[in-house]
Amino acid sequence: MNRILTIANIVWVDLLRRKDVYVLLILLGVMLFGLLSINIFGLGGAARYVLDVGLLLTWICSIILAVTMAGRQLPTEESRGTIYPLLAKPIRRWELLVGKWLGAWSSVAASTVVFYVLLLVVYRARGGVIDYNTLVQAILLHLAALGMVCALLLAISTRLTYGAAATVGFVLVVGSFLLVPRIPWFIAADPGANTIGLRILYYLLPHFELFDMRQRLVHQWSDISGAVSWGIIAIILVYGMVMTAIFLLLAWLGYRTKHFKRGGAV
Amino acid sequence: MQVPIEVRDLEVCIRSRRSVVHALQGISLEVGEKQVVGFIGPNGAGKTTTVHVLLGFTEATSGSAKLFGEDVRHSIARRRIGYLPELPQTYNFLTGRELLHMAGRLFDMKGAVLKDRAAELLELVSMTYAADRKIATYSRGMMQRIGLAQALVNDPDLVILDEPTGGLDPLGRLDVRNIIATLRERGKTVFFSSHELSEVERVCDQVIILVAGQIVAKGPVAELVPAGESLEQFFIDSVRKMQNREVGV
Repeated sequence: MNRILTIANIVWVDLLRRKDVYVLLILLGVMLFGLLSINIFGLGGAARYVLDVGLLLTWICSIILAVTMAGRQLPTEESRGTIYPLLAKPIRRWELLVGKWLGAWSSVAASTVVFYVLLLVVYRARGGVIDYNTLVQAILLHLAALGMVCALLLAISTRLTYGAAATVGFVLVVGSFLLVPRIPWFIAADPGANTIGLRILYYLLPHFELFDMRQRLVHQWSDISGAVSWGIIAIILVYGMVMTAIFLLLAWLGYRTKHFKRGGAV
Repeated sequence: MQVPIEVRDLEVCIRSRRSVVHALQGISLEVGEKQVVGFIGPNGAGKTTTVHVLLGFTEATSGSAKLFGEDVRHSIARRRIGYLPELPQTYNFLTGRELLHMAGRLFDMKGAVLKDRAAELLELVSMTYAADRKIATYSRGMMQRIGLAQALVNDPDLVILDEPTGGLDPLGRLDVRNIIATLRERGKTVFFSSHELSEVERVCDQVIILVAGQIVAKGPVAELVPAGESLEQFFIDSVRKMQNREVGV
């Protein structure tokens, strides 16, 4: 455990001493405060509008951070050559992977919580009211989704360079978000067609849409239909953990026998 | 007694789309306890490949490699070793002291023991003055020194150094030589590759000469090198002889 935490700590120090997270935070702050001052289509006065756009920006920023943080961990170790003194220590490869995932996920999760706090400050300043029970559920699910993204990116980056891993990662994450919830519609729209490929995609790709509670938060559906039961939240969290474990297992399978040579992996 | 390094009939073939390179062609070597062994050869001879096999970075095509009797693929084999890579690169965003603390924690060291060990190593490599500066601000020689310090953090029984004096000025090379001498006094085994033959001649009990993936000579310098000849001359002759044999002259 000590070795896993040491690796995670390196990821944290890297994040804190780089500028990525601060840039994203400033960018998010500027955009949120910008929303307060503009009045497109007369919506400037609506707090709900601020929350809607703010949550979208929070999701986008957190996914960018998760993809770039998790995607660069292994390829950068290899390209910098820091992997050699690291693997010459009595550390097992699964410990390295879990440490990298833990560091990437916990640092991205902490940044995301800061994003939410900033959004909440702006929303409250606009006079918005929020259901804190739903907010906690939304944050929990958001963080679980980020865990999946980090594990997916680690798995992809075991065999790809950072640039390639980030590109494939973005395509998979955004593609899953947009495509997977619509697959049942496609199948229903044309049931006669060969839908095996679509069905495989439906069960293979992660269901990020399950973790997105933005609409509930913005439109306060909990007032109408009651809050989501914690049992359902727990089931979705378990699904997230299982998917994270599967991606970490894939990462281990790709990394456990990987060989390295000067200038890159073989 | 467990032999620190034991290599038998080691072959490594590196395959690319168009060719197969025989990086190592069935080498066998043994490094005994408390020895300082120089591993020399021209560029591309297979020195770093051998070191990478010993550390489990590269898989052997055939043959075996053991560290203290343990297969190199097991992480337990690395508990008693320290390693300084060629062109040491490390986490530039850490300070020198933080790097040593990080390396120590990977060996389950902590608290005052780790703090004292880091301070002792910084002193040993003459880096105390820059210990709290970020590594990004270090010169090449300073990187080499801090890399050497992290390799020694666990007080290893076997130290593997890949080109430890590369990029160092004469004073830096002297420091490395002194550190190797200190390790010898403490009864450690040192296995290092180098192009600095004068360094090898001065500090090594034994040398192993590798050319084109084959060992062409091994043994104590005094026994290998004819009287009145330098190791450098012997090395050049050995390499030429091997190259001539390769081209069929």
